[in-house]
Amino acid sequence: MILLQSHSRFLLQTLLNRVQNLEKSVELDYHWVEFDDVRYHVQVSMKNPHILLLSVSLPTPPLEAVFLGGLPFGAIEAIKAAYGVIVQILDPPRDGFNLTLKLNLSKLPPDEEYKHALLVKIASVREVVLGAPLRVILKYLASRTVAPDMDHLVALVHRPNESFFLVPQQAEKVTVVFPMRFKDSIDTVLATSFLQEFVESRRTAGLSNAPPCLWSHSPPLELKGATDDALSANAGFVTFVIFPRHVEGKKLDRTVWNLSTFHAYVNYHVKCSEGFMHTRMRRRVESLIQALNRAKPDQEKTKKTAHTRSFKRLSLKDSCTNSSS
Amino acid sequence: MANTLRLYLTCIRNTLEAAMCLQNFPCQEVERHNKPEVELKTSPELLLNPVLICRNEAEKCLIETSINSLRISLKVKQADELENILTKKFLRFLSMRAEAFQVLRRKPVQGYDISFLITNYHCEEMQKQKLIDFIVQFMEDIDKEISELKMSVNTRGRLVATEFLKQFI
Repeated sequence: MILLQSHSRFLLQTLLNRVQNLEKSVELDYHWVEFDDVRYHVQVSMKNPHILLLSVSLPTPPLEAVFLGGLPFGAIEAIKAAYGVIVQILDPPRDGFNLTLKLNLSKLPPDEEYKHALLVKIASVREVVLGAPLRVILKYLASRTVAPDMDHLVALVHRPNESFFLVPQQAEKVTVVFPMRFKDSIDTVLATSFLQEFVESRRTAGLSNAPPCLWSHSPPLELKGATDDALSANAGFVTFVIFPRHVEGKKLDRTVWNLSTFHAYVNYHVKCSEGFMHTRMRRRVESLIQALNRAKPDQEKTKKTAHTRSFKRLSLKDSCTNSSS
Repeated sequence: MANTLRLYLTCIRNTLEAAMCLQNFPCQEVERHNKPEVELKTSPELLLNPVLICRNEAEKCLIETSINSLRISLKVKQADELENILTKKFLRFLSMRAEAFQVLRRKPVQGYDISFLITNYHCEEMQKQKLIDFIVQFMEDIDKEISELKMSVNTRGRLVATEFLKQFI
């Protein structure tokens, strides 16, 4: 799996199980955590088997990207638009969570394909909620208009206490800047080499329609005016320029997901790379130890005497020389 | 490039063949102790002159011999930041498994990346020629492994970037 998928597999599995066994009463109470500190809670009670309570907790936003009203801006409208009548937003959300949704599974559409698509959309609640502000800005871009009363530099959260930046004020393009931070020094070096590949591979033919992408060690000019700790990034800054052709029609959702999880994507591949290196190193160690064992002659000798008998043949010449010396 | 590698390895092999004449020697200072003299360096009459073989400024090999033990220290070429961390990671991985390798030293000598300690006991158990073959093969393998790891990182980076950017088309 190279790309991160927008729906949570566990949530989708739970929903599909519930929908297939709608009449069976069962007690469910699951808590789990996904990458970048997004927590989920699913609850179904025996009394109402077709009602499912889904709570989501989002990563803590840093100072420059604080949620007004507990949710990113545009999130409530996005939920209503994506889910329709099946979902009811509970206010206030459960303790410790940013959002609680009450799903009425008996109201799902009867058509199988449509139902499955809607369940996948519900399992992508993270994309809908966290990506809502980005979606709003990119929608303006798709219609080539400028969003009214938007700041010059917008900060959106994507990881606990870290945000990425958008410059939305031009009608023809939106510039997105990611400060990349990694805790481990090895991760930082690997990530830097990966990020430089982004710039290199865009130059290859066939990708000229992709958004132009730049990497720099120091904060780019677009980030002038941001706070100092927002400007520290040990693996540099990545800048993407998004044009209207990247967000028209079906591509909008994909672009929103890919940009929201860019840092997670790079992190995931850095970790995969380290795992692969470990496997290689272990294999190499085994082959070296085998080479060392070949230097020991004893093992071969014991093998021989166990099963075969070896005689040293004495020839007449030998017996002659022996007797004379 | 390949030419200097062959010369470097041949030189090391010849030096090792000359240096690997180890015999059992009980410790002179302490009764009933038997220590590798090259590590202690207390008695100068038991030590031979150390030999330093340099391929270039970045790569070198120090061979120190004594009457009952031999120490080989290697410094591996590290061209950029990525090769630096890959080398450190790989050699640390190997050093932690020094028990399995028997002739490997757990910590490299100061100023070098990895060290071997061969004692007379190793020479009694293993054939001298094969042991030298192993050391030389080890050096080749380290170089090969580091360059393969670096290539795998670059290939993966290229793939990751291409897949990501293709999503936008």
